[in-house]
Amino acid sequence: MKTVLPYLLSGISVGGQYALIAIGYTMVYGILRLINFAHGDVFMVSGILMVYLTATGLPLYVVIPIVLLATVFIGFAIERIAYKPLRTAPRMSIMISAIGVSYFLQNLVLYITGGLSKVYPAIPFISQSVTLTLFGVTLPTTKVATLITPPLTILLVIGLVLLINHTKIGMAMRAVSKDFETSQLMGIKINRVISATFVIGSFLAAIGSMLYFTNYPSVVATSGSMPGLKAFVAAVFGGIGSIPGAVIGAFIIGICENIIKGLDLILFKAGITHKMLGLTTFSDAFTFVLLIVILIIKPTGLFGEKTTDKV
Amino acid sequence: MQSIATRKKPSRAHILTAVIIAAVYALVFAAEQLLPASSMLFIVLKKGATYALVAVSMNLLNGFTGIFSLGQAGFMLLGAYTFAIFTIPEESREIVYQYYNGGLIRFALPVIPALVLSGLVAALFAFLVGLPVLKLKSDYLAIATLGFAEIIRAIFQWDKLGAITNGSNMLHQFPSFSSFNIRNAQGEVVVYLSTLVPFVIAGVCIALIVLLINSTYGRALKAIRDDETAAEAMGVNLFHHKQLAFCISSFFAGIGGAMLAMYACTVQAKSFTSAMTYEILLIVVLGGVGSITGSCLSAFLFVACSEWWLRFLDNTYTIGSFQVPLLRNGFRLVVFSVIIMVVVLFFRKGIMGERELLDLLRGRKGKEAAK
Amino acid sequence: MSENVLKINHLTMQFGGVVAVNDLRMEINRGEIVALIGPNGAGKTTAFNCVTGVYEPTNGEILFEGKPIARNHPTGRMRKLYAGTMGDAYRGRIVRNTPDQITRRGIARTFQNIRLFGSMTVFENVLLARHLRRSSNVLTAMLRINRREEKRMREDAMQLLRVVGLEDVRDERATSLPYGKQRLLEIARALATEPSLLLLDEPAAGMNPQETEELGTFIQRIKKQFNLTILIIEHHMNLIMDISDRIYVVDFGRLIAQGTPDEIQNNDAVIAAYLGGDEA
Repeated sequence: MKTVLPYLLSGISVGGQYALIAIGYTMVYGILRLINFAHGDVFMVSGILMVYLTATGLPLYVVIPIVLLATVFIGFAIERIAYKPLRTAPRMSIMISAIGVSYFLQNLVLYITGGLSKVYPAIPFISQSVTLTLFGVTLPTTKVATLITPPLTILLVIGLVLLINHTKIGMAMRAVSKDFETSQLMGIKINRVISATFVIGSFLAAIGSMLYFTNYPSVVATSGSMPGLKAFVAAVFGGIGSIPGAVIGAFIIGICENIIKGLDLILFKAGITHKMLGLTTFSDAFTFVLLIVILIIKPTGLFGEKTTDKV
Repeated sequence: MQSIATRKKPSRAHILTAVIIAAVYALVFAAEQLLPASSMLFIVLKKGATYALVAVSMNLLNGFTGIFSLGQAGFMLLGAYTFAIFTIPEESREIVYQYYNGGLIRFALPVIPALVLSGLVAALFAFLVGLPVLKLKSDYLAIATLGFAEIIRAIFQWDKLGAITNGSNMLHQFPSFSSFNIRNAQGEVVVYLSTLVPFVIAGVCIALIVLLINSTYGRALKAIRDDETAAEAMGVNLFHHKQLAFCISSFFAGIGGAMLAMYACTVQAKSFTSAMTYEILLIVVLGGVGSITGSCLSAFLFVACSEWWLRFLDNTYTIGSFQVPLLRNGFRLVVFSVIIMVVVLFFRKGIMGERELLDLLRGRKGKEAAK
Repeated sequence: MSENVLKINHLTMQFGGVVAVNDLRMEINRGEIVALIGPNGAGKTTAFNCVTGVYEPTNGEILFEGKPIARNHPTGRMRKLYAGTMGDAYRGRIVRNTPDQITRRGIARTFQNIRLFGSMTVFENVLLARHLRRSSNVLTAMLRINRREEKRMREDAMQLLRVVGLEDVRDERATSLPYGKQRLLEIARALATEPSLLLLDEPAAGMNPQETEELGTFIQRIKKQFNLTILIIEHHMNLIMDISDRIYVVDFGRLIAQGTPDEIQNNDAVIAAYLGGDEA
């Protein structure tokens, strides 16, 4: 227990951060049936913006809102420039466009940063280190970010669910995700709904990036791709299109991944194995094993709805 | 596609195509003998040939069968490792596997059998992966194959398999393209073949793919792409044919991986990331999804732009005291990705659309048929 | 008694709460032209899809030339939801064939909403359908060892194009043909799979009266020429009354009448349900 607990805790925290990214994936997929490969990179760009804006010397209470706004704008702009013109094109073209955007964002950041890793600025309060005692076990020192991520995530998700269930735009979103064409015929302004989806997704990704990168020393151009992929897997795992599904999937993946990181140590200390197996190598791969397993057993994910094709 | 009449005796367009291809090979051979071996041209040609093969193999899946697979880097990795593992000369194994007591495998295969073996290993894995994955629908299939590539990458970096894979250390000392140069007793190169050989390997493989596409099986694959339900109603076993396309595509991706290993002289699992798959996918799209000629052309263009022609964008220039703005390390890739986005958004058909060299040479009649 | 080609017993197809086909029973004898008619949404195409293996029926069995090609009974959630009859009659071995297996056995079909292969020429569409009768494997095909077979396939395809009268347009893109010709091409493509039972799903849809009449003659001609049994779904009553030996009428998934064209024309239930009193 003593060995497992810290891994569990950081797993829950990372899970929360994945959840914030995964929501962006799942909402976009629900509406456009598009894997927005660029979403992970929007997350990364948000981190880079934070680095550069803090370096200008502006106070944090100015920087944070600017970062949030800028990220939202980037998400919005990507949709308008790269996805909207392809709305009637085959699914494959729009997915390729998403990959192209991802490639572009990574190269742009690579250029701006000169390929160097950028130290993420400390945000007062959430970057502080604390030592907790839980169930009589003193945990290793963690940052506040780790602790506040899960409650913050839950809060944001509740807010989002309320928004989707009780506002006009939320209702429109649900309608569009059920049936794109019909809702268009019913007078729903599709483009507004899609933009709103991207805005919400990017906003959550921006918050996720602040929490995520606070726990890591630096940001590089490819920082976004792994968390992005994992968040997408989380969305698939939970049943793509379902927000609670994405959140639960993200927590499961975050926890599993961190347990695997510590599995060697845990097994060793528990006396099950007598030498290190180097299982840490598989912490990333495990996510995908999980993905393939769920796709085989239940292709629609935990909470996904089944659709049938008409012949 | 040839109709019955053109089948019987080769048309002018067929002869012209053959002449053009032969001329390309002759030029490559001549250039290699005449130009200095260090010329950028050869780097582009070698890497271009490799990428052309991989792009065509991906096109077979994504363009001709309509399976959106993103596992290409994984199969290339399998091919590259298989090739490297089985061709490192015995005497070099102690150095390469220095952390693993010289490794487990103590023999070396000749290059050609090793190439075929690397294709077969990739195809075998494709068969196993395909069993669950090919039943999935489009996007799920894409993400599952991408995931598979990541899993493979992790497995090959695993310390416990180090005696075979050398863990996360690189493999080297195996034959590279320059081993094909014919040397005299003094070790001087008499005939340069280091560029022609990759062209020949890629050429043979691509020719096989073209033969497949124009066979009755190729028609079945295109039918699946056009309309799965109708194809199935016409007696095409969907799973069997998808599996076939997946294995064949992976076979050639494996050979492509082995070629990449020969080109780079080293193999390391961490370089076969999903970014590599994306690059190849972009090559396919730039060339035109569903055009072999397009994939080949755009592979060379892509490599030439990224390795050579756009290199100047990465250098800082000062004219007098004025420094040209923007130009510095990394700008090439930015320009490059902008070009790609422009093609994806505004020239969706790519360079060739669905046409082939043959269609172009046929002139107007060919164009009508291609429309 | 003539020989049964297709026999459908208690076929029920239920999608969640919707019962698209309910307890359908049909028998088709060798050499017959049988029509399946009914108002829109009556479940005709669904029945076709069950026969051709696109859907797995919820209950019932389908026999082709005496052997089951589909047999199922409601299980799991469907067992509770099941709204048809005879829910327990087909317990035992479940038989499920994929569409390609069924086509291989000798049932071919056309589609209501034309499904030609859009990137291929007219000729290639028919040629593709010869694929399932191949004896070559992928290697012999790739290395062109199957030259003679390929040649024969091409000749067969050409022959079929002549039968339907499309040999002039063989190098056109299939989807660029006018509607009526696309329907003929669908039939040629189906014939290329060498069926003994041909299912035609609204072959005259979108055709003018003259074309429809020609189609009637055409169907009778290919029936003779290829020794076929034909099951046809159609809304053009003149065509149906002209060519069919027997007619089955369904409404809301249920069989409401069966008989010869004369019997059906005078059947009260049919007039009430299908024609709605209209003298169409």
